[in-house]
Amino acid sequence: MLWHKAWLETRWRFIIALLILTVLAGGNVYEYLATQRLLPQAIATAETPAAQATGLGGAIREAIEIQKDFRGYIWYQTFRQNLTQMGVFFAILLGCGGLLHESSKGSALFTLSLPVTRKQLLGARTGTGLAQLFAIAMVPPLAIPILAPSIGQHFTIVDALAHGICIFVVAAVFFSLAAFLSTLFTDIWRPLLIAIAIACGIAILSTVIPQLGIFSVMNGESYFKTGSLPWAGFLTSAVIATALLYSAAETLERRDF
Amino acid sequence: MSNGPVIETAGLWKRYEDVEALRGLDLQVPSGSIFGFLGKNGAGKTTTIKVLLGMARPSRGEARVFGYAPSGHDGVEIRRRTAFVSDEKDLYDYMTVAEIVAFTRSFYPRWRADLEQQYLRKFDLPPGRDIKSLSRGMRTKLAMLLALCRGAELLMLDEPTSGLDPAMAEEVLQALVGHVAAQESTVFFSSHQLAEVEQIADHVAIIDRGQTVVSGALDDLRAKYQRIRLVFDGNAPEIRVHAPGTHRVRRQGRVITVLSSSSGDAVIEELRGYRPSSFEVSPVSLKDIFLDSVRAEDRHVVAQSVA
Repeated sequence: MLWHKAWLETRWRFIIALLILTVLAGGNVYEYLATQRLLPQAIATAETPAAQATGLGGAIREAIEIQKDFRGYIWYQTFRQNLTQMGVFFAILLGCGGLLHESSKGSALFTLSLPVTRKQLLGARTGTGLAQLFAIAMVPPLAIPILAPSIGQHFTIVDALAHGICIFVVAAVFFSLAAFLSTLFTDIWRPLLIAIAIACGIAILSTVIPQLGIFSVMNGESYFKTGSLPWAGFLTSAVIATALLYSAAETLERRDF
Repeated sequence: MSNGPVIETAGLWKRYEDVEALRGLDLQVPSGSIFGFLGKNGAGKTTTIKVLLGMARPSRGEARVFGYAPSGHDGVEIRRRTAFVSDEKDLYDYMTVAEIVAFTRSFYPRWRADLEQQYLRKFDLPPGRDIKSLSRGMRTKLAMLLALCRGAELLMLDEPTSGLDPAMAEEVLQALVGHVAAQESTVFFSSHQLAEVEQIADHVAIIDRGQTVVSGALDDLRAKYQRIRLVFDGNAPEIRVHAPGTHRVRRQGRVITVLSSSSGDAVIEELRGYRPSSFEVSPVSLKDIFLDSVRAEDRHVVAQSVA
């Protein structure tokens, strides 16, 4: 029943996240033909002296090159941009809340009076959140091979699953970060804003320090370019997420209510 | 049921940053008793309950419930055998009455389905109603239902009737008394309402500034304490009582009132020496004992004029 409680607490966030991400992925599929029609115009823009002088022309040409076929277009628009950015946001949102937030609403004492340990409480919430995260990481990519034939295109289920796993593993890090921060603050806003700030910081820093490129693991860049999954990135992400969840459990255990 | 203590604390301290909520609390709650836990606001009542249930960790000292320390897995065993109602009575707003009953039931193998149906009717709780739409009184009744149906050996209630009108408070108290009479469980409840403690408790402890200042069976305390009233023909003289057991002396016009305990005979003997025109010894209420216990300045023998 702790799982049921965790589900009731987070179901609307989950449903909204699932809907938005699926609509974004599906929308990208149906925008493909329109985008292809705009490519000549984009090429012309990339060739202008102003674009070439600023280096923008090179970036536009690279983007056009990638998006020449449907697979490249989906990777660039959906996995590299929409699902990565919004996926991080919704992972953080799902990770926020929990027992400490309950204490600000008054129901924590009722929860703590139940014959369960705090680790069980955190475990049920984390398990439910990770299951929801898995669904929002897998369902939107799987919508792509389902919808693609309706516009005469093809996208393999294997590719969709591979990208879904990439999204899930890295999103789990941000979920765990939010879960850890939620054991430090009673409100939901500080964990949310701090985790988003950290995500933005990593995104900015990774342009300077490529080793911090956790988002390239999330968007499955190596899988798109070489066909191999980023196992080192997975392992690093799993270790970080586990460490954050362990810290959350220890912090919660020591907490007075 | 045995008379060994269900709850036992020895030298229990709890410090929150710069506030000492408990300062060496000693407490023994006999099995099968209805134990009133009294104290002013901030005396440490809620903190004590939180420590006993493993919601807060003691800074030092010892706490045991059913012989178990409240932390770790032993805390789970304590909570399996204990039902708790918090002061706020806040439950899950996103559940309905039926959902939270089903949720709570799932944790207690000894859940009393018969009592559940009985209290749903008695308290007039609509199963399909959202908890967020319930009044404070209805929430209190629901919290009581969730506690009483657990089949618990110990009921721990923090201000069970706070915020209720007298009629609803009486209804809740009667349900509690009826339940205890039928189930033979131990009740440990904190309250500000001295009248309701006097109505249902058979044992009390009064705590002040995190320490137990009075504890025992209510009848014993009543027998131990007495009020002695002296009336003089003219203005009452200023007096100093030296006999041990004198708690409070008040002078008002022609009347002097003395609250005494234990060595009452010695106090009476000494007071007769002032030759009052009338002399009367009467029993005291819990309120008198409580006020005497929590007023530090009154614990010493001080002649005090309130005229």
